[in-house]
Amino acid sequence: MKFKILILAIFGFVFMANAQSKDELEAKEFFWGKNDKYKNANEIPDKWKNESAVVIYKNINYDYHKFGKRVTYKNSIRKRIKLLDKNAVEEFSKFSFKNRFRSTKGAYTWRSKGKIFFGIKIIKPNGKEIVVDVDKEAIEQDNGEKKIAIANLEVGDIIDYYYYSLEPFKSAYVYTFEPVEQTLSAEYPILNFKLYLETENDFFINFRSINGAPKLKEIKTEKRNFRKYILEEKDIEKRDFPRWFYPLAEVPAIKMQVYFARSGKFENQAMAFLPENEKIIKSTVSQNEILDLYDTRFRPTGRIGDVNDFLKGKTFHSNAEKVTAVYYYMRHYYLTRFIEAMIADKTNITKYSPYENYGYPVFIQNQKQFVRHFTRFLSRNKIPYDIVVATKRYNGNIKDLLIESNVDLVVRVNTKNKLYASFFSPHTNINEMSPYLEGTDVYLLSPSKYGKLVGIKGGKLPSSTYKDNLSFKEYALKLNDDFSEINLDIKTKLKGFSKVDEQYDRMIFSDYVYQDYKKYDTKDLISLIKGKKNRQQTKEKFAAVIKKIKDKQKKYFKEQAEAELTVGEDDIDAYSYKIEKTGRYKFADNFVYSESYKLKNHYIKKAGPNYILEIGKFIGGQVKIKDKNRERDANIYMTNPRSYDYKIILEIPEGYKVVGLDKLNKNVDNTTGAFISTAKVVENKLIIETSKQYKHNFEPKENWNLMLAFLDEANQFYNEKVLLKKVK
Amino acid sequence: MKLKTILILVCFLIAIPIFSQKRLQPTPEEISLAKKLKEKFDKDDPVALLHSKEVITFGYDKKNDNVTVTNKITEKYISLDDRADISLYRFYDGQTSIKDFEVHYKNKRRVLVYFKDEAYNNDGLFHNDSRVMHTNIDFPLKGYKYTVTLTENIKDIKYFTQLYFTGEYPIIKKEIVVIVPNWLELELKEMNFEGFDISKDIQTDAKKQTKTYTFIAKNIPARYKESNAPGPTYTYPHILFLSKSYTQNGTKKPLFKETQDLYNWYKSLVNQLKNDNSAFKDKVAELTKNASTDDEKIKNIFYWVQDNIRYIAFEDGIAGFKPDEASNVYKKKYGDCKGMANLTKQMLKEAGFDSRLVWIGTKRIAYDYSLPNLSVDNHMICALVKKDGEIIFLDGTEKYNPLGEYANRIQEKEALIENGDTFILKKVPKAKPNFNTEKMNYNFTLKGEDLVGTVSKSYSGESRTYLLNILNNLKKDKKNEALKNYLNKDDINLKVSNIKISDIENRDVDLKIDYDITVKNAVSSFDGEVYITIDLDKELKTLELKDRNLDFIFSSKKNLESITTITIPDTYKITSIPNNLSIDTKNYKLLVDFKQNGNTIVYKKNFTIKNAKIEKSDFENWNTSVNKLKNIYSEQIILNKK
Repeated sequence: MKFKILILAIFGFVFMANAQSKDELEAKEFFWGKNDKYKNANEIPDKWKNESAVVIYKNINYDYHKFGKRVTYKNSIRKRIKLLDKNAVEEFSKFSFKNRFRSTKGAYTWRSKGKIFFGIKIIKPNGKEIVVDVDKEAIEQDNGEKKIAIANLEVGDIIDYYYYSLEPFKSAYVYTFEPVEQTLSAEYPILNFKLYLETENDFFINFRSINGAPKLKEIKTEKRNFRKYILEEKDIEKRDFPRWFYPLAEVPAIKMQVYFARSGKFENQAMAFLPENEKIIKSTVSQNEILDLYDTRFRPTGRIGDVNDFLKGKTFHSNAEKVTAVYYYMRHYYLTRFIEAMIADKTNITKYSPYENYGYPVFIQNQKQFVRHFTRFLSRNKIPYDIVVATKRYNGNIKDLLIESNVDLVVRVNTKNKLYASFFSPHTNINEMSPYLEGTDVYLLSPSKYGKLVGIKGGKLPSSTYKDNLSFKEYALKLNDDFSEINLDIKTKLKGFSKVDEQYDRMIFSDYVYQDYKKYDTKDLISLIKGKKNRQQTKEKFAAVIKKIKDKQKKYFKEQAEAELTVGEDDIDAYSYKIEKTGRYKFADNFVYSESYKLKNHYIKKAGPNYILEIGKFIGGQVKIKDKNRERDANIYMTNPRSYDYKIILEIPEGYKVVGLDKLNKNVDNTTGAFISTAKVVENKLIIETSKQYKHNFEPKENWNLMLAFLDEANQFYNEKVLLKKVK
Repeated sequence: MKLKTILILVCFLIAIPIFSQKRLQPTPEEISLAKKLKEKFDKDDPVALLHSKEVITFGYDKKNDNVTVTNKITEKYISLDDRADISLYRFYDGQTSIKDFEVHYKNKRRVLVYFKDEAYNNDGLFHNDSRVMHTNIDFPLKGYKYTVTLTENIKDIKYFTQLYFTGEYPIIKKEIVVIVPNWLELELKEMNFEGFDISKDIQTDAKKQTKTYTFIAKNIPARYKESNAPGPTYTYPHILFLSKSYTQNGTKKPLFKETQDLYNWYKSLVNQLKNDNSAFKDKVAELTKNASTDDEKIKNIFYWVQDNIRYIAFEDGIAGFKPDEASNVYKKKYGDCKGMANLTKQMLKEAGFDSRLVWIGTKRIAYDYSLPNLSVDNHMICALVKKDGEIIFLDGTEKYNPLGEYANRIQEKEALIENGDTFILKKVPKAKPNFNTEKMNYNFTLKGEDLVGTVSKSYSGESRTYLLNILNNLKKDKKNEALKNYLNKDDINLKVSNIKISDIENRDVDLKIDYDITVKNAVSSFDGEVYITIDLDKELKTLELKDRNLDFIFSSKKNLESITTITIPDTYKITSIPNNLSIDTKNYKLLVDFKQNGNTIVYKKNFTIKNAKIEKSDFENWNTSVNKLKNIYSEQIILNKK
């Protein structure tokens, strides 16, 4: 018996070892075999002699094969790189890789074991080729994770390496591969770039070259079911991504997605814009195709009994008012009501799962579910709507849509003034959508009476202005008697997109969930917990969690204040922080918080009997554009228009007067933005008001100088000082 | 049947928390204890150990003829915060193993936690055999308690070198019990006990033939989380174990009784090397053929190793102590300190020199070789014995290090030099602070509201080595930009141009950088008065040493000589210049001198950090000095229109 097992084990081992080496040899042959045209490509053009490294050949391959439900996905990359300095040698002197992994694709089977083969060789300047014995030299860390230090690597060498990943998996239905969206350019310049794509029947491909990248070309093959494509480019300069830039909007790049669908039935299941058949590479998506994909997928569905209960007995002046009320109710009832439970679950403080306390609730998990659920309420209440199909600006225009996961969905409620409803996070407002969608072209899908989507037309989303997205800070400054400290009282008011990140940053759940419970008369987690003693214990533990987060938060806010004024950690003392208004029920409402602290040893300089006060520093660190970035050949992409306004009120110390107001009055205002400041003395106070405005979310590169004009002016203001002159 | 079993199991699992939770809640006494401890120790300590006990016993592994060590550890935690989340972890390697790592509630019931067991690599090493077992535990309330137990086994007493009384968290009572059998000769050296409440008790058990040492330390604060701190061997109380010999079957065998024993073991590893130098014979010939002097030959070889061998360390098992073959290092073009030292030695040998291996502990380690123990050293370099007997040291891991200059980290440290069957002990020479001089020369003219002028900087010693290393490792295409950003300090008010730099490949001469500069916004005019902020560097201004418990250690000794000259237009007269400063102490010197010379002002700074450290006893004086300096930096030069 024992002997048998042993024999089997040996047999299994031998079999596996053989199989592995066959694949391994195949991988090696694939890149470095007799067909390798780049075997002797060792030269680089003179123009790149001063680079850190030059990629002589970069080759990416995506191969998709199948046998019934069994898919074999091969993904490999080879780079042949000339190393021109120590930095590059260091960069390529160590590699880590996983030589076995479990595929997460398709159905789970114990067989879905992936393998990665890794090959490296070095070509010395005299042409001598040294193939690294990876199996021998790599060391295993944990679970197939290996690393290798490359021996004998020197400046002037060429390193030629590949990763070859073999990933078998089983998919009975549809499988959508991860989309690929990448620029052709990379960290180092590339002399030759080739991308190959190999597929069989049942694999559907969406592919497009954008921004001037070369097109994918078909290569004739012998087999009928077998297709091969190539994309080739030469002389690609290294990438240089400046500030405020969306590479996929300008730089030559590719977009690709591959789907596996075994029959027509499954093709229809795919959440993708599939080509008509496998022989066609799909590169554009028409309006009708969008409608075809979505028409039956957005029938209004979902349990809205809770919403009906909420509406019972309430009257509204308009549909807009009703929709708004329901939106915020859903945000609470389907989301913020459970946040305490999420925290309790994460911190292990309840005896049982805290989710048990909510029965069988509705929990909305994605945009699509939100659209179906929200439109269920709309259609029930006979409120007209369209579904907006949009894509974020950094993906390009909706007309160039190719990859379904690039779609963002918003519900447009066709009330007198249109309302936009997006899938919510805890602070999302009605009429708020991702800033990246603002002002973009979109498609509007309109429903029939029964909820099937029947019409599609073009449209455009509205945009906010810099006034809508305002960050306003009021600083009240008072110097102490010996001028060594400044007492600051600061009030910050944020609205529109300027408040969004800060609301998540500055509020923890306990700052707003109780507001929601009160508003909607719902119960907090603690009161849902059964058993008096248990409730009391959980309450104590929950209080401890809140205190811990609050303490951490306070420390973090103090650091934020230090960063804003670019001072060290010991320079701010007696820090306090308070939320005044949460600003969670209207996009235009202000999120307001106040802070106060003492600033030591900063921004006051002794000048004989007088003092110089670096008053400009209180508008916070400004965008610095370095010399090399003052010339710009790429358009300017920003998230949204916005303004940063400051009001600085300095109590002038007794016995002193303020000199130097003239430099605090600035005014650069052009089509791209503005920096405007005024200063005046009213009684014993110096009052400065500044406004920095970014007027659009996009500027053509020709406007860069106009932007520099107001950015420079703001920087100059940042450097301005006033003199507190002793009055004799 | 199956369903029933599952149901019973589920009920049972649920029953555990209900049953136990009651007795887990902290009592009022525990809460008040937690509050007291919170006040007593650092406010950032989330938990404390009420009791931490380590019981050390020894055994004999007949098969391998090794003395083994077992450490049974019990730690009783209490949380000092309203809620604390900490991670429990323990490192081990090829010589050690961990078992029975468990966490228990205060009612002794075991907590179901999963310990991850992972390979661990610290930044400096490419690969070693260190592993870590770790898990996270949460204390939901103040005064909550857990007990953690584990057993650590060490295969060979050689690797059992020290035990600390301090840990990551404060400890109310730390107990270390060492039960030494009579067949083992072991010295327990008490290190850094002064200033701590540590008692010792020794009991002899004639029956068991053992001697038991019990150390009890009370109220030990957590280790300080401070940067630029001296190594732990300087500050924290610990026991150093000097295992001298053991007797088995009537035979007494030496361990590390004398330094000679330690050397013998090291040497036995070195003697295993084949030292086949044929791989680099030609290279050595090439490097030395045009050299006219011995020094030049040595330099060529030493610099070649620095420039061509990358530091990549594999410290797996014995590889942590045994150097790699020189020919391997040569072929691979990488190695750790031992590999580089050995390659340097063998290449020099090939060139006809008397070269040796050297074991050394860097400054991070407080010990010298009078304490024969594996924790005495952590580094290997090469020594060259000249014909006249002079010994020079060569450390291939120090890049851009000129021959004869020694990095601060090994200066004054005792070197154990190979000498056949015996050894030589010699200290690495100490360098004077002015060896590492940074010279800054600013020459400004006031033009409108800008300062316009030229700058000349030079760097010697370790300040040069440091910069050369950075500059040579930058990407070629980004080098100029990086240098410019370094010189303009990323400040858009500084416009730097016309940069000239000396040969960054040449480590034998001072590094010199000259450039033109325009400084905007350094000058403000109000009411006909002009105020000038003259200092662009403001060295040391952020180095106030507050809330600090440990000496502050610099990377090297420092010496700054800075001269700024500013010429002002004839239409102005100088009405005020900042005060001078002159402070000279054992560890540092700070001199600031302003002089007016017609329409020029000469502003001199001379700062010296003499011993690369500021001692804790000096902090108050140091902080006063830094504050005076800060005042000078913020004071203005004032000009009035004539």
